[in-house]
This record gives sequence, C-alpha cells and structure tokens, in this order.
Amino acid sequence: MAGTVTSTSGRSGAREVRVWDPLVRLIHWGVALTVLINAFSEDESTFHAWVGYTAMGLVAIRLLWGLVGPPPARFSAFPPNPVAAVAHVRSILTGQRPIHLSHNPLGALMVYNLWLTLIALGVTGYMMGTMRFFGIDWVEEMHEAAFAWLIASVALHVAGIVFDTWLTKVPLAKAMVTGRKTIRETARTE
Amino acid sequence: MTLQRVFFGKSERRAALLAVIILAQALCAMFFVGDVIADYLEAGRILEIHLLVETMAAAALVAGVVILMRELRQIISRMRDIETGLRAARGDMVTVIEAFFDSWNLSAAERDVALLLLKGFDNESIATLRGTAKGTVRAQASSIYAKAGVDGRAQLISIFLEELLADDGDIPKPAVS
Repeated sequence: MAGTVTSTSGRSGAREVRVWDPLVRLIHWGVALTVLINAFSEDESTFHAWVGYTAMGLVAIRLLWGLVGPPPARFSAFPPNPVAAVAHVRSILTGQRPIHLSHNPLGALMVYNLWLTLIALGVTGYMMGTMRFFGIDWVEEMHEAAFAWLIASVALHVAGIVFDTWLTKVPLAKAMVTGRKTIRETARTE
Repeated sequence: MTLQRVFFGKSERRAALLAVIILAQALCAMFFVGDVIADYLEAGRILEIHLLVETMAAAALVAGVVILMRELRQIISRMRDIETGLRAARGDMVTVIEAFFDSWNLSAAERDVALLLLKGFDNESIATLRGTAKGTVRAQASSIYAKAGVDGRAQLISIFLEELLADDGDIPKPAVS
C-alpha cells in the first residue's frame, strides 16, 4: 500500500542534495572571472599580474579546502583515478547513466588538470616578472602554451557539463550556483 | 519544504557570509605572507620591529582563516545532519500514517482521501483532484471518520499530531466507537 501514499504525497519525485558549499562555489566563479579578465587584460600590465596572483590565491584556498573542507569538497571524494575514468567512459558507452554526488571520475581528472594548468600559468607568469627570468623566451612560451591549454580545457569542461547534464538529467551548472544537485528519486547515485 | 526553509535559511546565509569572509581574509593573508617573505629576503634579519609586527599580523590572519574554515565546515555538517534527520522523520511519519490506515482497514480510495484530508484539502478540492463527485468524497470522509473513531477532520489530524508530540513511547490507540 506504500504506492498509494507516495502517489498522493505531492512530492515532485526528485530530491535535492547539498553538494557544493558556498566557498567552493565562490572560488569556482572567482577563478572563472580571473581567467576571463586576464584573457583580455594588457599582457605586461601590473593589473594582469595582480589578477593572476588573485587566481593563484583562490586555487591555494581551494587546495587547502580540499584537505580540511566538508566531504564533497575533499580530494578523497574525487581522487585522480584514470582507471575509474576509463570505467566511467565504458559504463556510458554501454548505456548506463551513472550519477555521482561529487565530481564524476572523468570530471575529477578535469578538475586536477585545470588546477595544474592554472598553477603552471601562475608560476610562469610570476617568473616572467622576475629579474632572473625576464625576457627569457621559453618561460614566455610556456606561459602562452599553458594559456592555450587552459582555454582548450575550459571548452572541454563546459562541453562535459553539457553532456553530463543531458545524460544524467542532473542540472550541473545550476548545482554550481545553488550548491544543490536535483536528483530524481528513482535514480541511483555513486 | 517550508520546514526546511525555516531550518536552513539562517544557516545558509551564515555559511555564505563566512565563505566570503574566508575568501577575503585568505587573500589578504597571502598578500601579507608574501610581503613578509619579500621583506625578510631584503632585510635579511628578523629583529626589526616593523617586520616583527608584520609577521605577527600575517600569522594572526592565517590563524583566523583556519578557524573560520573550521567554523564553516561545522555549519555545513550540522545542516547535513538536520537534513538527514528530517528525511528520516518524514519517512517515519509515512510509516506511522500507513500503520494507522492499516489498522482502520481503509480501502485504497479511502487511504487517498484520508491523506488529502490530513494535508488540509477541503472536500471540494479532493473531489476535483480525484475526479469524483463532492458527495462521494463526503461519504468517504464519513466512512474514514467512523473507522478511525473520530468525529471530524480536526480529531483525525490530532491523532497524528499526538503521535509526534508523545514522548513516553506508548502508541495511543485510536478509540473504536
């Protein structure tokens, strides 16, 4: 008789799960903003450098939060695991729609990729401003290569969000704004 | 959802405010730490009073960030606990309601109507929702009240309310008339 009760209980058949805490969200959009600003700001200006430092600061706070923050924000919730990522791709190819409360294994790889790329950008950017490395070609080339890689990664990241939202019907972009993932009652999560 | 809003509105605002402060303070802390390191490299010694004060200020900022981070994590985990508790309580409530319905031997249609009555719908809305005549709903409601041994909707609701308020552990059996 349980069916009788649930059918009239008036619930939408979906549950909301708190995933991203406000600090994670602020840092995410903060980093996005600094990338956007620095993509268009004057290359060798002090402004460009300070926006870069801010981005480094944001990444540093996020990394600390990955150690001490709440469970979904911690590295342990999304360890960098290429084997799991391959398994994830395989399960999608076989028609499954795995839902993960934190990042999915493929998304997790993207997260680490973005952090490493941002750090590479920050480090080479800083080096370009020091007396020792000023005007040295390979530093500048690395900075530009890292930027190209970052833009490609961001494009892939956005494409991944669109694809996963289509696949699992969990609006991911919304979750990064409100902090909550809306998951259908019948769906299983991992 | 309103219950949730009452519980979480305040905590959520507090968490958001804390996050903003953490971010601002952490960025300031990093600026000062960087500045202190640069100053050390330049001065090469610690005993300068200005540098000493600056070092302490930087350390205090870092400590503040760590403490605020702990605070934020506690708020988040408390919200999570309350949410889990609420969900469990809701599940329990459904079980309690079903147990009563079972003990009254309500028919499937009566169960639906009874649940809608508990939710505060009037006979007319229930008739519309279920696509039946108003008279049918009235008859079903009377039958439910008779089976439950109560004389109206208010008493029907009070049975379940009592269940929530009772703290001595014994389940009050509905009186059979």
